[in-house]
Amino acid sequence: MSIDVKNVTKKFGDFVALDDVSVSLPKGQLTALLGPSGGGKSTLLRIIAGLDNADSGSVNIEGTDATRLPPQKRNVGFVFQHYAVFKHMTVAKNVAFGLEIRKRPKSEVERRVKELLELVHLSQFAHRLPSQLSGGQRQRMALARALAVEPSVLLLDEPFGALDAKVRKELRDWLRRLHDDVHVTTVFVTHDQEEALEVADEIVVINNGRVEQVGSPDQLYDEPANDFVMSFLGEVTHLSGISLRPHDIELESAPRLAGGVEGTISRMLRIGFEVRLTVLTVDGEEVSVVVSRTHARSLGIAEGSTVWLTPAAGATVIPRMAAVG
Amino acid sequence: MTSALLGPPADIAGEASTGRPPRRRRTAGPRNTLTPGAGLGLGLAMLWFSLLVLIPLTAIIVTAGEGGWSSYVDVLASDQTWAAVKLTVTQALIVTVVNVVVGTTIAWVLVRDRFWGKSVLDVIIDVPFALPTIVAGLVLLSLYGPQSPLGLEWANTERAVMLALAFVTLPFIVRTVQPVLEELDHDVEEAAASLGATRGTIVRRIILPSLAPAIAAGAALSFARAISEYGSLVLLSGNLPFRTEVVSVRVLSFIENGNTQSAAALASVMLAVALFVIVALDIVQRRVANRG
Amino acid sequence: MVRVSTPVRWLLRTVAVGYVFLLVAWPVSLVAVQTFEDGFSNFVGIFSDENTVAALQLTLMVALWAVVINLIFGVTISILLVRYEFPGKRALSALIDIPLSVSPVVVGLALLLVYSGRTGWFGPSIESAGWQVIYDSPGMIMATCFVALPLIIREVVPVLTEIGDDQEQAARSLGASGRQTFLRITLPSIKWAVIYGVVLSLARSLGEFGAVKVVSGNVTGRTQTATLIVEAKYQNFEQTTAYSVAFLLAFVSIACLVVVAFLRPQHEI
Ligand SMILES: Nc1ncnc2c1ncn2[C@@H]1O[C@H](COP(=O)(O)OP(=O)(O)OP(=O)(O)O)[C@@H](O)[C@H]1O
Ligand SMILES: [Mg+2]
Repeated sequence: MSIDVKNVTKKFGDFVALDDVSVSLPKGQLTALLGPSGGGKSTLLRIIAGLDNADSGSVNIEGTDATRLPPQKRNVGFVFQHYAVFKHMTVAKNVAFGLEIRKRPKSEVERRVKELLELVHLSQFAHRLPSQLSGGQRQRMALARALAVEPSVLLLDEPFGALDAKVRKELRDWLRRLHDDVHVTTVFVTHDQEEALEVADEIVVINNGRVEQVGSPDQLYDEPANDFVMSFLGEVTHLSGISLRPHDIELESAPRLAGGVEGTISRMLRIGFEVRLTVLTVDGEEVSVVVSRTHARSLGIAEGSTVWLTPAAGATVIPRMAAVG
Repeated sequence: MTSALLGPPADIAGEASTGRPPRRRRTAGPRNTLTPGAGLGLGLAMLWFSLLVLIPLTAIIVTAGEGGWSSYVDVLASDQTWAAVKLTVTQALIVTVVNVVVGTTIAWVLVRDRFWGKSVLDVIIDVPFALPTIVAGLVLLSLYGPQSPLGLEWANTERAVMLALAFVTLPFIVRTVQPVLEELDHDVEEAAASLGATRGTIVRRIILPSLAPAIAAGAALSFARAISEYGSLVLLSGNLPFRTEVVSVRVLSFIENGNTQSAAALASVMLAVALFVIVALDIVQRRVANRG
Repeated sequence: MVRVSTPVRWLLRTVAVGYVFLLVAWPVSLVAVQTFEDGFSNFVGIFSDENTVAALQLTLMVALWAVVINLIFGVTISILLVRYEFPGKRALSALIDIPLSVSPVVVGLALLLVYSGRTGWFGPSIESAGWQVIYDSPGMIMATCFVALPLIIREVVPVLTEIGDDQEQAARSLGASGRQTFLRITLPSIKWAVIYGVVLSLARSLGEFGAVKVVSGNVTGRTQTATLIVEAKYQNFEQTTAYSVAFLLAFVSIACLVVVAFLRPQHEI
């Protein structure tokens, strides 16, 4: 295991930000910490980096107990949401910072900076100030700066959070490729489930200071441990006491399948290739259903039509617990 | 310009208002995040601060209290002292009112008007702050004194006191109101106009209320500075008992006569006023911060 | 944006410019006129007066010491107030501003009560240890420190708050120690704020009058500063010398302002 967090609890005053959190992250993996805002993701990441200290519990990095080590002794790379670039230094100086602190020979520093700037495609900007870079470029620079010291783990706190949707998507793919090349154990925080599902080898879902579930993207999507994880990873609706995804509901215009629930379409919304329906069942439940446009047309349904609903075969369903989403 | 220096206290202890995207709140009661090094720094800084400021100011209060309540009252009830207090407070109030009107006007002109030489005006506003007070007195004397090119003979009169106080307090309201006026959202004014508000209504209902806290803060600072002024009055007002003698001069003459206890008694009253102003400022500040 | 009508605009402009002209610009310019009425001789003359030269030297020495002390104290306190949490922080940040609203005479009195060699709280013991504070330069330096105390802090605190601690944390995560972080990251980011603060403190320190008058004893040629000379010379009817020294002081303080005005817009963070 590369990072081992055991029973970490962190309080701010009376507020419990992390409640007895334990996670183990294997070497060389790209892990996402996923969860809603205020869930404690940044706090956990900062405790791993040593930027905050846990009230109790331990942090082990690459086999050494790091719980009491100051950040500069942990050999972690940290990338901040708002870049935290050194404004008064050029791009090259920013990247060289960690190496200069470590008193590496000048020639080595130069070589390494050159390599890294090539890696992040910023070679032609080496002598600019960060203020002359775009947001995406700044973040790539921050990444190069963190990688320069050859950290044993790389921690990224919502690295693409402040970027627009398109750049975000590009950088996300690029991070995945970079990780495949560099293979450093990487943890990144996000509250975007799509980002996590797309890039990560493993996802840790954190909510209210607790770990809700740990698993691969497929595991999380197909076997969510609870309602919260399920609803956080995608849309969820409820049909006669179970939670399931709206596109996992079979819709029929006649009661053909056994156990079908009868209802009337109260709203119908066409978005691109899909049709979103709100069905008011005879039990008084409002159920969301998504069907393809073609399917809707073949059924000949419209607002006010009576329909029958059944969970599709092989759908991910879990018993409904507390009302979420 | 020097707004950071003349403006109301930067709200350090409360929520840090950063111009950057929102950061997490860091207000979880009185916590202690001092590292050993920082603790040592704080210790040394507090030691120096105590030796320089806290202990000496405490000494004033203790010395003032030594003679008991009666001697306290005696000092303040003496006719000459009372006249000085009355003069100082009256003139400080007049000057503060003048500053509220003229200072706000100057701030407005600096922010909303454009004309040749405006940047010079902007620099001149700070001159009274940087100019040594004794020089300020001398400077005013050359225009309003015996050989006045304007034919004004204001030296050694109440007018001189007012003039000196107006001079040294000029920057306060300008420099507190100016940044607020700069930040004022034009959209709001335009929205009001689109809703049918006339110019007068916009100024009265939208602009002035937003400036009010800054004006109040500037006025408080200006009043505090005015009642404690000394240097600029030395040459200009003549320090005539019952006529142009202000409180600071009175304190000084007590000191020079070796009557430190009376000096301390009067000084403690001035300190109380200063403290009151600081607390009032802090409250205004907090109000504004809460209002968002 | 409210558009004021042309007459109103002219009225406001006239009030603003007229007030500042009559109260500040004209009087200040008259000092230059008075000084150079008979050419440069009067002004140059002050440098041949032994006491005046001594006063100028003393002023410079006191001001430099006060600025250095306030610089160290100011930067330390600013960092503590912005970057750390500790009990009593709010009270401290309010107390720091006290010197702005305390009369210089009261400042002098306060120091006198504690450090006076005969009657002060600590004065006699300090004196028996061979140090004189009051009526000597240490007292004058303290008085000057007191009045200029908040200036650097008020410049540095907003900038420190504004830049946040992200860059410092990034430096720590890259392996920099506390000292390295301060020297390589924090100090360069607050450099300009510190410079403004220093320039303003210098202007304030060179011109301090009331507090220094009380603690210095005003001994000609020994503890008399430039501002005290202005008063003394004026009252001795040596008006040309008074105006010449006043001009020098005004020139330096206005030069400080102009320097700040020129530096600031370029390096606004
Ligand atoms: N220094 C602090 N002082 C007080 N409370 C804090 C502090 N840091 C974090 N918190 C609180 O701890 C909780 C968890 O914060 P954290 O920053 O870890 O959330 P997050 O999951 O990263 O959220 P986001 O997605 O919005 O960044 C929040 O409720 C926050 O208000
Ligand atoms: Mg976060």
